[in-house]
Amino acid sequence: MFDDGSPIYRQIADQIKAEIMNGSLEPGGKVMSTNQYAAFYQINPATAQKAFRELVDEGVLYKQRGVGMFVAEDARDKLSADFRERFFERVLAPLVREARQAGIPLTDIIDYLKTQEGALK
Amino acid sequence: MTAPSLAKRQYALGAGLAGSALNYFKYWVVAAAVLCFVVPFIVAQYADVQLSAWYYAVNCGKWFTAFVGGGFAFTLLPQYVAAGLTRREFAVSQAVFGVVWSLCLGAIGFAGLFAERAYYDGLGWSQGFDVGDTVVPIGTAADTAQFAAYLPLLFLSYFAAGTVIGVASYRWEHTGWLLVVPILPIVFGLDVALYNTEPVGPGWIGFLGRYLDGMGRIPVAAAILLATVALAIAARRILTDIPMRSKRA
Amino acid sequence: MSFSVTLRDVSLNYGAEAALSGIDLDLEAGKVYGLLGRNGAGKTSLLSLIAAFRKPTSGEILVGGEPVWENAPIVSRVALIREGGDFDDTETVKDTIESGGIRPSFDAEYAYKLADRFEVPVKKRVSALSRGKRSVLAAICGLAARAELTMFDEVHLGMDAPTRDAFYKELLAEYMERPHTLVLSTHLIDEVANYLEEVVIVDRGRVLRHADIETFQGMGATLTGPADAVDGLGLDALAEQRLGGTKSITVAAALDADVRSRAAAAGIEIGPVGLQDLFIHLTDPNRNGA
Repeated sequence: MFDDGSPIYRQIADQIKAEIMNGSLEPGGKVMSTNQYAAFYQINPATAQKAFRELVDEGVLYKQRGVGMFVAEDARDKLSADFRERFFERVLAPLVREARQAGIPLTDIIDYLKTQEGALK
Repeated sequence: MTAPSLAKRQYALGAGLAGSALNYFKYWVVAAAVLCFVVPFIVAQYADVQLSAWYYAVNCGKWFTAFVGGGFAFTLLPQYVAAGLTRREFAVSQAVFGVVWSLCLGAIGFAGLFAERAYYDGLGWSQGFDVGDTVVPIGTAADTAQFAAYLPLLFLSYFAAGTVIGVASYRWEHTGWLLVVPILPIVFGLDVALYNTEPVGPGWIGFLGRYLDGMGRIPVAAAILLATVALAIAARRILTDIPMRSKRA
Repeated sequence: MSFSVTLRDVSLNYGAEAALSGIDLDLEAGKVYGLLGRNGAGKTSLLSLIAAFRKPTSGEILVGGEPVWENAPIVSRVALIREGGDFDDTETVKDTIESGGIRPSFDAEYAYKLADRFEVPVKKRVSALSRGKRSVLAAICGLAARAELTMFDEVHLGMDAPTRDAFYKELLAEYMERPHTLVLSTHLIDEVANYLEEVVIVDRGRVLRHADIETFQGMGATLTGPADAVDGLGLDALAEQRLGGTKSITVAAALDADVRSRAAAAGIEIGPVGLQDLFIHLTDPNRNGA
């Protein structure tokens, strides 16, 4: 963890988002406290707090004063649109670019993806 | 050490240092006492005992006190400043240390002299000390008490001298110790003048004694007090903006 | 109540030689700072001034809003732990720990607990300790001081990797339990980077950069690709390397979206720069200014 060069708080925020998407964090469920996060990942608690603040601002988490931080009921809906957008931007855009550089026709890629999709089923 | 309040810690520290220094050197005191008991006894087999052995032990104690004052200041100053003590607090604690140490050592000196007096009287010996060419007996009990009453002040003057040299040696790494040259002859000379005698130590340093011979004890004691105060002020001045030495890897 | 630190136009000379000149610095209460700098850059001098180990030649130093020099209520709650510690070597470890008690806040019980955990023999004399154990003892005394401003100056030297790791863990736990201002001066930047909130880089007696850690982490990038394409971006390179027709440059500025897309289109790979590398480039003596 923490090695792709983006700020640590963003990596933590991304990880919490991923946990919400894959179901390990349920909507309405309680999230670990800032200090628990800091101790677990050995990071400055202010860094963990920054991640939480960002998620609260995005409406993914909400804060209950004195109780803790919870996953918003509509967190998954909010995130899925975001995930789709990022998937295209981070995964597909470079793929298209590299394919063009390597001279691989787009139709080959589509065929490959279809067989992979078939294999997964 | 239980944590004293911030305002009192400088006093607690000084008293604590005196206590631990006395505790640390207690066997030296015991050894001195044993020697002072045994040596005259051996001498008595061959000659008349005329000199107070304890007086020589007390003289050693003075030099020892100078080393304690200087050595402790030199090693403890950086340690305590690093542990969050101000230099001013250190100066106060060192003063308390010096006073308590000198009083305690003075009391030991005083008690020892009377114990020796009883010991010598019992065996018919004469408790005296060397004045130039002749040996002068210390005299009546009142004389002995008067003689011993100056001991704490004397110890304190040596302690102050040691402290100045100790802190100066910390401050000026290669040259600080040179303060020995002006300071020791003054302290030692005043000491010699007080007793008008030739105690242990290089005799030439007693040059001040010659000029002070004619004076009574009270003015000389006042001069010692004055010198001690001046030394304490000097130590504090050297201390107040002393930088911590940088560490070498 | 953690201490803030303020330096206003502070200079320090050793004789004719200037160790620090014109330092202005604000450290906020309760944050963890990393102090980075090459050997002789002035890190230790800076920390010595903040801890009132020495007096500045000129300028003003406030800790907790008050002048720190000879201020007992302040310095009794400021701890600077220097490499190897400031100990009387002839004392035992136990006596050394006890003498920490001149700080009213000192927690001897905690110190003994740590000594036990880090296997520092309490009965041995300090002079008989290995370099590593001595560093650990210094660190223990620093933690147990429970100060409002604690500064560790290269205290990790001599500790092996597992010990350093355990020490940082303890430091973080202590910090979370009792928030206070912390300054870590070190060369092993990547080891402590995750603990830091802000970073101060000192170079040649001056503060070169002071920013929060994210700024530093987002600051640098390496761009690797065809030499012409890399040059074509017109970026101000901190460092560059060439291998045949391929060129790699390091920049110390956040890349905007426009540069990123142009780089991507030209087949240039963009990679992150670790804090350690960024620091090396920023303080390269062959660079003029920064």
